[in-house]
Amino acid sequence: MTAERLIAASLVVSALASLALVVVFFVGGHPQIEGILLALALGGLGAGIVIWSIRLLNAPIQVEERHPLASPEQTRNDAASTVDMRSITRRTLLVRLLLGAVGALAAALAIPALALGPGPGRELFQTPWRAGSRIVGDDGLPIRPDDLAIGSVRTVFPEDAIGSPEAVTLLIKVRPSELRLDAQRMSWAPEGCVGYSKICTHAGCPVGLYRAEEHALLCPCHQSTFDVLRGAVPTFGPAARPLPQLPIDVDADGFLVARGDFPEPVGPSFWNLTHTETDG
Amino acid sequence: MRRLAAALAGLLVVGGVAVALSLEPARADSHDLEPGSIERGARLYQAGCATCHGDSGEGVDGWPPIVNAGEASADFQLRTGRMPYAQERGQQAQRKPPAYGEQEIRDLVAFVASLGDGPAIPEVTLDPALLSPGQRLFASNCAPCHGASGNGGALGGGAIAWPLTDAPPLIVAEAMITGPGQMPIFDWPQEDLNATVTYVEYLRSAPSPGGFSIGGIGPVPEGLVAWFVGMAALAAVVYLVGREWDRTGDGG
Repeated sequence: MTAERLIAASLVVSALASLALVVVFFVGGHPQIEGILLALALGGLGAGIVIWSIRLLNAPIQVEERHPLASPEQTRNDAASTVDMRSITRRTLLVRLLLGAVGALAAALAIPALALGPGPGRELFQTPWRAGSRIVGDDGLPIRPDDLAIGSVRTVFPEDAIGSPEAVTLLIKVRPSELRLDAQRMSWAPEGCVGYSKICTHAGCPVGLYRAEEHALLCPCHQSTFDVLRGAVPTFGPAARPLPQLPIDVDADGFLVARGDFPEPVGPSFWNLTHTETDG
Repeated sequence: MRRLAAALAGLLVVGGVAVALSLEPARADSHDLEPGSIERGARLYQAGCATCHGDSGEGVDGWPPIVNAGEASADFQLRTGRMPYAQERGQQAQRKPPAYGEQEIRDLVAFVASLGDGPAIPEVTLDPALLSPGQRLFASNCAPCHGASGNGGALGGGAIAWPLTDAPPLIVAEAMITGPGQMPIFDWPQEDLNATVTYVEYLRSAPSPGGFSIGGIGPVPEGLVAWFVGMAALAAVVYLVGREWDRTGDGG
């Protein structure tokens, strides 16, 4: 095909696609078809221009030489004379640079040591839950045990720390007769409302998946599975310790409240996890 | 003249394809049906359900009792085809086309509701003003299992959370208040229920301006396609343009 015909075909395709674009727009629009038509319109135009310039226009490649980059001799001499190099010998220069490099390296190695302190103190052992904190949903409303049907799951927070990542807790209501908690923890689940930290004890992901038939909480990151009826002990996956259980009570007005903070640190385990009496 | 005719024909073809692609599937109309009849429902129940659920919903041989399942649960299970159950025992009930017609479902629902004390079929209103709270509720309560785009996900232990792409608003609301199968119960205030259902309906009908949604399962497949398909196409164009220039530029 001759160049003229090729260019003409490209431009006609482009024009048709542009017209079709208008039509599609007026019959209601369809993003994918409009995209294809726009591609044809612009592509046809571009192809036409490129073929035109390559095949029809006589455009040999011209190279324009650059002028010399260096400054004239006189300017260079003037600049050199303003910097007196004689007071620093080659040896002193190198020795000083060596000392500088070693000093900088020493600083670079020493500074990260600052990251070793200060110690986190009690921070890792505490969450915003306090004795008497009302348990609220993310809408901020307190919850009565009767508000939840058996089989319900709610993500809850202390009333003064809604959205707190340390305090986030899953409140699950199960049949009280099905719970198999330690004797002293049975009273922490009034009317079967049992609360566990939502942060996985393996890598700290939110344990948000719940298989209601097996009462199994599942962490989506590494498939750690916890048994809600038996104090959230891990039954599968890499998590090594149970999700901490929130001690729950019912206050005088009938709302669910915390009896205190979680008995164990929430989230991933760390090296002095069990040193609860020391300061960090 | 022939050229003009050809151009017009091309336009018509392109426009016709566009119109065909933008058509929505028609929705089934609800006919004038009777309210559910407990007597007719009882006969259907005896024939199709009593073998497992027992004559009065008490549950036979370890199959689940449905005395207090209520309207909402029966409606959900029958309309989504999960009941009658057709798997090996212990497997998750599958979503199927419903085995009963509309009138039969109404009769069965009426009968199951008469067995005990369970939740009624909820009423939900779609309200676009609730999209934002609906998204918040969905993100913290539904997305962990059903995925941020409602395309479902694995739950471990052989269970899956179903995609919500085929779930109309009433089915979503019924599932929330009854907690079918592995799903926990989300028995929320009416406004929260409306908000969540509105957001799920938005997810189902959300436009996909980029074209292919690639399953809607997240940014990783989208990024892969962008890099390997999009970038490869760009590189090919650059190569072709450069090669053409070379071939003719030498001569000039």
